[in-house]
Amino acid sequence: MTGPSIETSGLGKQYGQLWALQDCSLQVPPGRVTALLGPNGAGKTTLLRLLVGLASPSAGSARVLGRAPDSSEEFLADIGYLAQDVPLYRRLSADDHIGLGAHLNKRWDAEGARDRLSRLHVPMDRPVATLSGGQRAQVALGLVLAKRPRLLLLDEPVAALDPLARREFLSALSEAVTDGGVSVILSSHLVHDLERVCDHVILMSASRVQLCADIDDVLASHRMLLGPRRPVDAVEPGLTVISATQTQRQTRLLVRTAGPVLDPSWEQDEVGLEDVILAYMGNEGAGIGAERTHRHLEVAP
Amino acid sequence: MNHLVWRLHRNQAYLAVAALAALTVILVITGITMADDYRNALANCAATQSCGDLGGILFRGDGAIMDLVDFTLFVPLLFGLFWGAPLLAKEFEDGTHNLAWTQGVSRWRWMRANIGWSLLAAAVWGAALAALVSWWRYPENALSSRFNAFDVQGIVPVAYALFAVALGIAVGSVIRRVLPSLAVTLAIFVAIRVAIGVYLRPHYMAPVTKVFPLLGNDTGPSGSWVLSQGLVSPTGKSLGPGIAFSQFPAACQAAPPPGGGKSFLGQCLASHGFRQTITYQPANRFWAFQGLEAAIFVVLAAALVGFAIWWVLGRDA
Repeated sequence: MTGPSIETSGLGKQYGQLWALQDCSLQVPPGRVTALLGPNGAGKTTLLRLLVGLASPSAGSARVLGRAPDSSEEFLADIGYLAQDVPLYRRLSADDHIGLGAHLNKRWDAEGARDRLSRLHVPMDRPVATLSGGQRAQVALGLVLAKRPRLLLLDEPVAALDPLARREFLSALSEAVTDGGVSVILSSHLVHDLERVCDHVILMSASRVQLCADIDDVLASHRMLLGPRRPVDAVEPGLTVISATQTQRQTRLLVRTAGPVLDPSWEQDEVGLEDVILAYMGNEGAGIGAERTHRHLEVAP
Repeated sequence: MNHLVWRLHRNQAYLAVAALAALTVILVITGITMADDYRNALANCAATQSCGDLGGILFRGDGAIMDLVDFTLFVPLLFGLFWGAPLLAKEFEDGTHNLAWTQGVSRWRWMRANIGWSLLAAAVWGAALAALVSWWRYPENALSSRFNAFDVQGIVPVAYALFAVALGIAVGSVIRRVLPSLAVTLAIFVAIRVAIGVYLRPHYMAPVTKVFPLLGNDTGPSGSWVLSQGLVSPTGKSLGPGIAFSQFPAACQAAPPPGGGKSFLGQCLASHGFRQTITYQPANRFWAFQGLEAAIFVVLAAALVGFAIWWVLGRDA
């Protein structure tokens, strides 16, 4: 397919007086594995629910795989959605779930799902309530993959998992994605894990999209600058200051720039994805930004 | 879709089958015994002219079974609580609606299958129960009034069951949590059943009023549903059931002669022209009443189902 896998314009969702998502306009090209990042309450879940048609927008519009999300069977056939907290029928086994999926979907790869789960030694015939969190997440992932969707939307699938289970989950996901050429959007408040599997990032905070770009472009267009103390706005034109940290002697900036930074008084440094993300999370209050961010954003060790 | 409904609710179905089977065994055994006793008693009483007293002598030992049959009154409520209310509320509470509604089946088809099967199960079980109780009560119905057990026989149990399940589904779709849904379903079901049974049912058709002599064996039409009884004064004015002693003629207020207390007052009033009156629904209106009440509850059930579908499909999941 040639069009974007996800395209929204002015998308918003209001609950009572509160806007959970506001003025969200973005485009995700097909075939990307997108990390949807942001602190808790940033609107990630709301965005995903709008994209799969479980909620309808209060403002703006969304197009997913070229059509407006709804509860029609044509649309649902092409998407795989894994909701937060990995909902499964507690008393049913993994096998039961795979059997149910076969009845609920026209396209269903039961064999593939069974293979994948048995390779991971997930018990197939025990109620899922008795499985570990990691195993349940694998069952749920197996179910969305068995649909053979063109777009996978996963809402915090690794949030509740320990580091080992997280790694297993993400490598199972990567493997499935390289096999099938499917687009993925994966929300998380953990940065580290996603850097390995994702090539695109959407950054949200306070109900708004802060950044939506390919990760390579993000890294190429941001610099860390360190130099003698000076006012934060005293930088050359063409730089946008994302975050600033002042000490008595030094100023440390994270900037976005289209070209090279020319001012020789700056010591320049490459940035990691995590630096950029933390900078955007805290950019309402420069200086204390880093601290604020750490409170909201758990950074995996 | 049907497979999903069955896989998720089959344990409830097994339980319901087991309960119905147990009740069937008990009622069939006692029912056959009762019918035999009744036939024998009927054959014998004709010889001794004592058929009027049959109601007082038969079935006295079956109190527990009688209670059991009366308790089937609550079975439709149980359907509402355990089939209706959790149907949507449990999905919402566990978050599994997110799973179910993003498979390749539209939300409308999911609703249609789940609601359809629940209502069908309620109707089938309601009908089986009603048929069983109607058959079991045959001797009792013949001796007293079928109106005495209006709610557990005939066709109304089917309508109650449909209503209870529809109510549970509608409540669960709005409240989205199982326990509060149970409580609210219980409260609304009882309130509506009582309101209609007590305040509306007596007025489905205009009752018949009959005035007849105070003394004698005439006790009103047999098998009817007696709404009120009372005295009528010599001038034809209805005095109601709770007439004060001081309203009697002075002669009748006098102390009765020794040994003739009750009949003295009766004879005295009768001789002064007092008569008794009875307001009732005749026995032959039983099926008309059943039909009307069933229709009311089926219409309510349909409205609730419509509401639940509209509410769920028109809103965010």
